[in-house]
Amino acid sequence: MGKIDMTAVSVIAANLQAILGLNTQILPVQPEPEYAFLARRGQYDGGKILHALAAVSDSSQFMLAVVSVDIFTPILTFVFGESQLGGKAAVVSLFRAKSKNLEQSYNRAAKIAIHEIGHLLGIVHCRTPDCLMGFSNNLEKLDSLPLRFCQACEFEARRRLRHLFGEPGVKAP
Amino acid sequence: MKSSTHIMVVDDEETICEALMAWFVKDGYKVETALSGEGALEYLQGNDIDIFLVDIKMPGMNGIELLSRIKEKQPAAAVIMMTAHGSIQTAVEAMKLGASDYLCKPFDPDALSLLMERVMMQKTLQKENTILKERLLEQQEEAADVFIVHSEQMRKIFSTVDEVAPSSAPILITGETGVGKDIVARAIHLRSQRSYGPFVAVNCGALSESLLESELFGHEKGAFTGAMKTRRGRLEMADSGTLFLDEIGEISTKMQIVLLRVLEEKQFLRLGGSSPVSSDFRLITATHRDIPPLIKEKQFREDFYYRINVIKIHIPPLRERQDDIPALADHFLKRYVEDTGKHLEGFTQKAIEHLISYSWPGNVRELRNVIERAVVIARGYIIGTDELKFLDPGKLSCETPSGTLEQIEMNHIKSTLASCDGNISHTAKKLGINRSTLSRKMKQYQLTTLSMAK
Ligand SMILES: [Zn+2]
Ligand SMILES: [Zn+2]
Repeated sequence: MGKIDMTAVSVIAANLQAILGLNTQILPVQPEPEYAFLARRGQYDGGKILHALAAVSDSSQFMLAVVSVDIFTPILTFVFGESQLGGKAAVVSLFRAKSKNLEQSYNRAAKIAIHEIGHLLGIVHCRTPDCLMGFSNNLEKLDSLPLRFCQACEFEARRRLRHLFGEPGVKAP
Repeated sequence: MKSSTHIMVVDDEETICEALMAWFVKDGYKVETALSGEGALEYLQGNDIDIFLVDIKMPGMNGIELLSRIKEKQPAAAVIMMTAHGSIQTAVEAMKLGASDYLCKPFDPDALSLLMERVMMQKTLQKENTILKERLLEQQEEAADVFIVHSEQMRKIFSTVDEVAPSSAPILITGETGVGKDIVARAIHLRSQRSYGPFVAVNCGALSESLLESELFGHEKGAFTGAMKTRRGRLEMADSGTLFLDEIGEISTKMQIVLLRVLEEKQFLRLGGSSPVSSDFRLITATHRDIPPLIKEKQFREDFYYRINVIKIHIPPLRERQDDIPALADHFLKRYVEDTGKHLEGFTQKAIEHLISYSWPGNVRELRNVIERAVVIARGYIIGTDELKFLDPGKLSCETPSGTLEQIEMNHIKSTLASCDGNISHTAKKLGINRSTLSRKMKQYQLTTLSMAK
């Protein structure tokens, strides 16, 4: 959505495909989600973006939005991404993932995306060290996590993916 | 512990409730929400909550008021206050009233996760502490019971305990029910180099053979119907500590073979398992039975007996160490007086004699129960024979019929007289004879009511 680094979007799509085995399809770029802007906070409401995204009629199992604006929730000052637990829609923000090192930025974006897709698969935060389903409260934590789940979360993800009919696809506007 | 942790969010703003609920659910908690303090209290009727997040500013009952109501109803619950910026002063006020912490809305992700970590840690410690405290208190009390020793026999036993504790040699503790074999076992563990490891006790007499087997060795998932998941056995749990098998005389010879193998090989299989599990423990066993006759009857294996009986400690019954009775009685009296808040100063001389002459088939445990009961029913400042009336006079130590018929008769009259505080009519009635017959017999045996009523 909005002005977006298309390379980041491609990297995310490729990672979802490689790591979770999801079929991904990149949709055309949508306009900036102005409806979610809250002037008082100067940020965008992640929940509103999710609502709008879930309302789009599309046959895909999951919808993942990639935005370059900073997103928040009513209770948190900011989030790297947001998603509906066991639902359809997730959003990744590149705003705080930015780094002078491009590779690092892309790496972070991919981690956020996979973490949020994990939530869509119904997986809750994991306490196992070195599991991508651990909650990242800051960049340092996010960078310390590997680009994979622990054995238990991996197993859970595979099970849920198998449970969801056919080959689920992901579209990234 | 986390998945079972129950959180409640109380905020009049629905979006806040929803957002917090979504976050906590994603973080693996069970979550409830309430839009008012009144709603929260209503839910509390019949439900337990571990952690509350309460907004300070709410119409109707405000957060501070709710905090004090929660603290009344569920003092162990952690309450985190939520506040909009600018009203930190009230939040600090709330901390003084027992809130665990406060958060300023909207929360910094760092602050939220750190706070939750801290609260969960406190909760875990709190739970562990109560369990530990209770267990410690119980153990301390019981352990103290055993250390009240005046008799030469018990002093010897404790010097033996000190001697043998440091080694890893198996120990067999024998003695009647209620003498405190388990406490001696624990004392050995605490004085050994394994005191930092676990002390795992199993009462072999209380379990059927198949239950005992799975209790000791654990089982793999699906080993038998009802084995829903893999479970570690007591043998495994005792690794680097002490395994105490009470009532070892009750186990089957088949189980003895299995255990013998474990003791020799130091490893075993879980039920339904195929890979050996090893465990390093010191074995202490106990029994109230006399094993050698059982060996003769082929009910106990000699090889197993030699394995477990490397060191033997025999604890004599209370009636064989009467010196300990007054001291123990005094010790229990002090404890129960403390518990009940009654003003009791001690025992009458007669009551003490009564206690000493009783045979104590249930040993120290029975003595403890008797004193507890006496304290409860006592009316005055001192415990007399009145308070000990419920002691079965038939169990007075002279009861064990040995000697001539005359001796037995004399002893029986003596003990009945004692139990009736020297009252002739009562005694005669109890013995089923008339007063004159009793007087004649008393003269014959040179018994006086005076000696009874000392
Ligand atoms: Zn998450
Ligand atoms: Zn995990």
